[in-house]
Amino acid sequence: MRRCSPPTFACWLLESLLPDPYREAALGDLIEEYALRIESTSRFTASRWFWSQACRSLPPTVWSLLRSRDCLISISIAIGVYIFMGTLKFAADWMISKLVAPDQSTHVVLAPIVFLTTTVIGGCVAARIRRGATIFLALMVTITVAILIDVKVCSIPVPWWYQFGFLTLGPLTVIIPPTLFGRLKQQGTVT
Amino acid sequence: MKRGELLGSLEHIILLALVRLDGNAYGMIVRREIEERTGRNLSIGAVYATLERLEAKGYVSSFTGEPTPERGGRAKRLFRVEAAGKRALQTSNQTIRSMTAGLKGHWGTI
Repeated sequence: MRRCSPPTFACWLLESLLPDPYREAALGDLIEEYALRIESTSRFTASRWFWSQACRSLPPTVWSLLRSRDCLISISIAIGVYIFMGTLKFAADWMISKLVAPDQSTHVVLAPIVFLTTTVIGGCVAARIRRGATIFLALMVTITVAILIDVKVCSIPVPWWYQFGFLTLGPLTVIIPPTLFGRLKQQGTVT
Repeated sequence: MKRGELLGSLEHIILLALVRLDGNAYGMIVRREIEERTGRNLSIGAVYATLERLEAKGYVSSFTGEPTPERGGRAKRLFRVEAAGKRALQTSNQTIRSMTAGLKGHWGTI
Protein backbone atom coordinates (compact mmCIF):
# COMPACT_ATOMS: atom_id res chain seq x y z
CA MET A 1 0.00 0.00 0.00
CA ARG A 2 1.29 3.45 -0.94
CA ARG A 3 1.83 6.16 1.65
CA CYS A 4 -0.95 8.70 1.28
CA SER A 5 -0.37 11.74 3.43
CA PRO A 6 -1.36 14.93 1.60
CA PRO A 7 1.04 17.91 1.29
CA THR A 8 1.72 19.06 4.84
CA PHE A 9 2.07 22.75 4.09
CA ALA A 10 -1.21 22.82 2.15
CA CYS A 11 -2.89 21.11 5.13
CA TRP A 12 -1.46 23.71 7.54
CA LEU A 13 -2.65 26.51 5.29
CA LEU A 14 -6.18 25.12 5.10
CA GLU A 15 -6.26 24.33 8.79
CA SER A 16 -5.21 27.91 9.52
CA LEU A 17 -7.52 29.69 7.12
CA LEU A 18 -10.75 27.68 6.84
CA PRO A 19 -13.42 28.91 9.26
CA ASP A 20 -14.29 26.85 12.35
CA PRO A 21 -17.71 25.56 11.28
CA TYR A 22 -16.42 23.55 8.34
CA ARG A 23 -12.62 23.33 8.78
CA GLU A 24 -12.56 19.71 9.97
CA ALA A 25 -15.16 18.49 7.46
CA ALA A 26 -13.56 20.19 4.45
CA LEU A 27 -10.07 19.00 5.35
CA GLY A 28 -11.36 15.46 5.97
CA ASP A 29 -13.09 15.50 2.55
CA LEU A 30 -9.88 16.56 0.82
CA ILE A 31 -7.80 13.92 2.62
CA GLU A 32 -10.36 11.25 1.70
CA GLU A 33 -10.36 12.21 -1.97
CA TYR A 34 -6.58 12.57 -2.00
CA ALA A 35 -6.29 8.96 -0.78
CA LEU A 36 -8.63 7.83 -3.59
CA ARG A 37 -6.74 9.80 -6.21
CA ILE A 38 -3.34 8.51 -5.13
CA GLU A 39 -4.60 4.95 -5.79
CA SER A 40 -5.55 5.76 -9.38
CA THR A 41 -2.94 8.41 -10.33
CA SER A 42 0.61 9.35 -9.35
CA ARG A 43 1.50 10.97 -6.06
CA PHE A 44 2.54 14.10 -7.96
CA THR A 45 -0.84 14.42 -9.74
CA ALA A 46 -2.74 13.84 -6.50
CA SER A 47 -0.60 16.42 -4.66
CA ARG A 48 -1.09 18.93 -7.47
CA TRP A 49 -4.85 18.39 -7.21
CA PHE A 50 -4.69 18.88 -3.43
CA TRP A 51 -2.71 22.12 -3.81
CA SER A 52 -5.10 23.41 -6.46
CA GLN A 53 -8.07 22.67 -4.14
CA ALA A 54 -6.28 24.39 -1.24
CA CYS A 55 -5.44 27.53 -3.24
CA ARG A 56 -8.85 27.75 -4.93
CA SER A 57 -10.64 27.28 -1.60
CA LEU A 58 -9.10 30.38 -0.05
CA PRO A 59 -10.84 33.19 -2.04
CA PRO A 60 -14.42 31.93 -1.36
CA THR A 61 -13.47 31.36 2.26
CA VAL A 62 -12.14 34.90 2.71
CA TRP A 63 -15.13 36.29 0.81
CA SER A 64 -17.61 34.44 3.03
CA LEU A 65 -15.69 35.69 6.07
CA LEU A 66 -15.98 39.27 4.78
CA ARG A 67 -19.71 38.81 4.21
CA SER A 68 -20.37 37.33 7.63
CA ARG A 69 -21.82 39.31 10.52
CA ASP A 70 -18.68 38.66 12.59
CA CYS A 71 -16.48 40.44 10.05
CA LEU A 72 -16.41 43.78 11.91
CA ILE A 73 -15.54 42.11 15.22
CA SER A 74 -12.68 40.21 13.56
CA ILE A 75 -11.36 43.41 11.94
CA SER A 76 -11.55 45.27 15.29
CA ILE A 77 -9.60 42.49 17.02
CA ALA A 78 -7.03 42.49 14.20
CA ILE A 79 -6.56 46.28 14.55
CA GLY A 80 -6.15 45.94 18.32
CA VAL A 81 -3.56 43.18 17.97
CA TYR A 82 -1.81 45.14 15.20
CA ILE A 83 -1.37 48.10 17.57
CA PHE A 84 -0.13 45.71 20.27
CA MET A 85 2.39 44.23 17.78
CA GLY A 86 3.58 47.73 16.83
CA THR A 87 4.13 48.59 20.50
CA LEU A 88 5.95 45.29 21.06
CA LYS A 89 8.23 45.87 18.07
CA PHE A 90 8.92 49.45 19.13
CA ALA A 91 9.84 48.27 22.65
CA ALA A 92 12.08 45.49 21.27
CA ASP A 93 13.85 47.92 18.90
CA TRP A 94 14.39 50.37 21.77
CA MET A 95 15.82 47.64 24.02
CA ILE A 96 18.13 46.38 21.27
CA SER A 97 19.39 49.91 20.57
CA LYS A 98 20.26 50.20 24.28
CA LEU A 99 21.93 46.80 24.53
CA VAL A 100 23.67 46.44 21.17
CA ALA A 101 25.89 48.98 19.47
CA PRO A 102 24.14 50.51 16.42
CA ASP A 103 25.74 48.64 13.57
CA GLN A 104 24.33 48.01 10.07
CA SER A 105 25.09 44.28 9.95
CA THR A 106 23.63 43.73 13.45
CA HIS A 107 20.49 45.54 12.36
CA VAL A 108 20.16 43.39 9.23
CA VAL A 109 20.37 40.23 11.35
CA LEU A 110 18.19 41.36 14.25
CA ALA A 111 15.41 43.05 12.24
CA PRO A 112 13.89 39.81 10.83
CA ILE A 113 14.21 38.04 14.20
CA VAL A 114 12.32 40.83 15.99
CA PHE A 115 9.79 41.13 13.17
CA LEU A 116 9.01 37.40 12.93
CA THR A 117 8.84 36.99 16.72
CA THR A 118 6.38 39.88 16.86
CA THR A 119 4.21 38.41 14.08
CA VAL A 120 4.18 34.96 15.73
CA ILE A 121 3.11 36.50 19.07
CA GLY A 122 0.53 38.69 17.32
CA GLY A 123 -0.88 35.75 15.37
CA CYS A 124 -1.20 33.61 18.49
CA VAL A 125 -2.89 36.43 20.44
CA ALA A 126 -5.34 37.12 17.60
CA ALA A 127 -6.14 33.41 17.14
CA ARG A 128 -6.67 33.04 20.88
CA ILE A 129 -9.31 35.79 20.79
CA ARG A 130 -10.88 34.91 17.42
CA ARG A 131 -9.55 32.64 14.70
CA GLY A 132 -10.93 34.73 11.81
CA ALA A 133 -9.00 37.79 13.04
CA THR A 134 -5.68 36.22 11.97
CA ILE A 135 -6.63 36.54 8.28
CA PHE A 136 -7.20 40.29 8.64
CA LEU A 137 -4.04 40.63 10.73
CA ALA A 138 -2.02 38.79 8.06
CA LEU A 139 -3.49 41.13 5.44
CA MET A 140 -2.54 44.19 7.50
CA VAL A 141 1.02 42.87 7.98
CA THR A 142 1.35 42.26 4.21
CA ILE A 143 0.13 45.78 3.37
CA THR A 144 2.44 47.35 5.99
CA VAL A 145 5.51 45.46 4.72
CA ALA A 146 4.66 46.31 1.09
CA ILE A 147 4.34 50.01 1.97
CA LEU A 148 7.59 49.98 3.97
CA ILE A 149 9.41 48.33 1.04
CA ASP A 150 7.89 50.82 -1.40
CA VAL A 151 8.87 53.91 0.61
CA LYS A 152 12.36 52.41 1.14
CA VAL A 153 12.28 52.85 4.92
CA CYS A 154 15.42 50.70 5.23
CA SER A 155 18.45 52.88 4.43
CA ILE A 156 20.80 49.87 4.35
CA PRO A 157 21.15 48.22 0.91
CA VAL A 158 19.70 44.70 1.16
CA PRO A 159 19.12 42.02 -1.52
CA TRP A 160 15.63 41.54 -2.99
CA TRP A 161 15.14 38.15 -1.29
CA TYR A 162 15.64 39.77 2.11
CA GLN A 163 12.65 42.06 1.50
CA PHE A 164 10.70 39.26 -0.19
CA GLY A 165 11.25 37.16 2.97
CA PHE A 166 9.54 39.85 5.06
CA LEU A 167 6.67 40.02 2.59
CA THR A 168 5.98 36.27 2.52
CA LEU A 169 7.06 35.08 5.96
CA GLY A 170 5.32 37.98 7.71
CA PRO A 171 1.73 36.91 6.92
CA LEU A 172 2.62 33.20 7.13
CA THR A 173 4.01 33.55 10.64
CA VAL A 174 0.76 35.26 11.64
CA ILE A 175 -1.39 32.46 10.23
CA ILE A 176 0.46 29.16 10.68
CA PRO A 177 1.96 29.11 14.24
CA PRO A 178 -1.43 29.28 16.04
CA THR A 179 -2.48 26.13 14.12
CA LEU A 180 0.78 24.33 14.91
CA PHE A 181 0.64 25.26 18.59
CA GLY A 182 -3.02 24.22 18.70
CA ARG A 183 -2.16 20.84 17.16
CA LEU A 184 0.73 20.30 19.59
CA LYS A 185 -1.54 21.17 22.50
CA GLN A 186 -4.16 18.74 21.16
CA GLN A 187 -1.58 15.95 20.85
CA GLY A 188 -0.41 16.70 24.39
CA THR A 189 -3.98 16.37 25.68
CA VAL A 190 -4.55 13.09 23.79
CA THR A 191 -1.32 11.48 25.05
CA MET B 1 -40.71 38.08 -4.57
CA LYS B 2 -38.13 39.59 -2.23
CA ARG B 3 -34.51 39.83 -3.40
CA GLY B 4 -33.23 37.62 -0.57
CA GLU B 5 -35.55 34.79 -1.62
CA LEU B 6 -33.84 34.30 -4.98
CA LEU B 7 -31.20 31.61 -5.14
CA GLY B 8 -27.76 32.36 -6.55
CA SER B 9 -26.61 30.07 -9.37
CA LEU B 10 -24.20 28.14 -7.14
CA GLU B 11 -26.80 27.90 -4.36
CA HIS B 12 -29.28 26.57 -6.91
CA ILE B 13 -26.87 23.93 -8.25
CA ILE B 14 -25.79 22.81 -4.77
CA LEU B 15 -29.39 22.52 -3.55
CA LEU B 16 -30.22 20.41 -6.59
CA ALA B 17 -27.19 18.20 -5.90
CA LEU B 18 -28.36 17.74 -2.30
CA VAL B 19 -31.82 16.70 -3.49
CA ARG B 20 -30.22 14.20 -5.88
CA LEU B 21 -27.98 12.74 -3.20
CA ASP B 22 -30.95 12.38 -0.85
CA GLY B 23 -29.56 12.84 2.67
CA ASN B 24 -26.22 11.15 2.01
CA ALA B 25 -24.44 14.32 0.98
CA TYR B 26 -21.22 15.77 2.28
CA GLY B 27 -18.91 18.36 0.74
CA MET B 28 -16.77 16.17 -1.49
CA ILE B 29 -19.71 14.06 -2.74
CA VAL B 30 -21.59 17.25 -3.63
CA ARG B 31 -18.50 18.60 -5.42
CA ARG B 32 -18.11 15.33 -7.35
CA GLU B 33 -21.81 15.16 -8.28
CA ILE B 34 -21.67 18.70 -9.70
CA GLU B 35 -18.45 17.96 -11.59
CA GLU B 36 -19.88 14.78 -13.11
CA ARG B 37 -23.14 16.40 -14.18
CA THR B 38 -22.05 19.88 -15.22
CA GLY B 39 -18.28 19.63 -15.76
CA ARG B 40 -17.84 22.48 -13.31
CA ASN B 41 -14.78 21.86 -11.13
CA LEU B 42 -15.62 23.60 -7.85
CA SER B 43 -13.25 24.01 -4.94
CA ILE B 44 -14.21 22.43 -1.64
CA GLY B 45 -14.03 25.89 -0.04
CA ALA B 46 -16.66 27.22 -2.46
CA VAL B 47 -18.94 24.24 -1.76
CA TYR B 48 -18.74 24.61 2.02
CA ALA B 49 -19.03 28.41 1.96
CA THR B 50 -22.25 28.03 -0.07
CA LEU B 51 -23.58 25.22 2.13
CA GLU B 52 -22.87 27.40 5.17
CA ARG B 53 -24.85 30.25 3.59
CA LEU B 54 -27.74 27.92 2.74
CA GLU B 55 -27.77 26.64 6.31
CA ALA B 56 -27.86 30.21 7.65
CA LYS B 57 -30.91 30.82 5.44
CA GLY B 58 -32.58 27.70 6.85
CA TYR B 59 -32.63 25.93 3.47
CA VAL B 60 -30.42 23.04 4.59
CA SER B 61 -29.50 21.41 7.88
CA SER B 62 -26.36 19.52 8.78
CA PHE B 63 -25.20 16.91 11.25
CA THR B 64 -21.79 15.51 12.06
CA GLY B 65 -20.91 11.91 11.24
CA GLU B 66 -18.34 9.64 12.85
CA PRO B 67 -14.62 10.41 12.37
CA THR B 68 -12.90 7.82 10.15
CA PRO B 69 -9.18 6.92 9.74
CA GLU B 70 -9.22 7.43 5.93
CA ARG B 71 -10.22 11.04 6.59
CA GLY B 72 -7.31 11.59 9.00
CA GLY B 73 -9.64 11.11 11.98
CA ARG B 74 -11.94 13.89 10.82
CA ALA B 75 -15.71 13.63 10.86
CA LYS B 76 -17.99 14.10 7.85
CA ARG B 77 -20.56 16.86 7.88
CA LEU B 78 -23.71 15.57 6.20
CA PHE B 79 -26.32 17.90 4.73
CA ARG B 80 -29.99 17.56 3.87
CA VAL B 81 -32.49 19.91 2.27
CA GLU B 82 -35.18 21.37 4.54
CA ALA B 83 -38.75 22.27 3.53
CA ALA B 84 -37.75 25.95 3.12
CA GLY B 85 -34.95 24.85 0.75
CA LYS B 86 -37.39 22.79 -1.35
CA ARG B 87 -39.74 25.78 -1.55
CA ALA B 88 -36.85 28.05 -2.60
CA LEU B 89 -35.90 25.53 -5.30
CA GLN B 90 -39.47 25.38 -6.58
CA THR B 91 -39.69 29.19 -6.69
CA SER B 92 -36.35 29.45 -8.46
CA ASN B 93 -37.25 26.77 -11.01
CA GLN B 94 -40.62 28.43 -11.58
CA THR B 95 -38.90 31.80 -12.16
CA ILE B 96 -36.51 30.29 -14.71
CA ARG B 97 -39.38 28.47 -16.46
CA SER B 98 -41.42 31.70 -16.63
CA MET B 99 -38.50 33.68 -17.99
CA THR B 100 -37.53 31.10 -20.60
CA ALA B 101 -41.09 30.36 -21.77
CA GLY B 102 -41.53 31.21 -25.42
CA LEU B 103 -37.83 31.87 -26.01
CA LYS B 104 -37.18 28.65 -27.92
CA GLY B 105 -36.78 30.48 -31.21
CA HIS B 106 -34.32 32.96 -29.70
CA TRP B 107 -31.68 30.52 -28.45
CA GLY B 108 -29.62 30.98 -31.58
CA THR B 109 -29.40 34.74 -31.05
CA ILE B 110 -28.91 34.80 -27.25
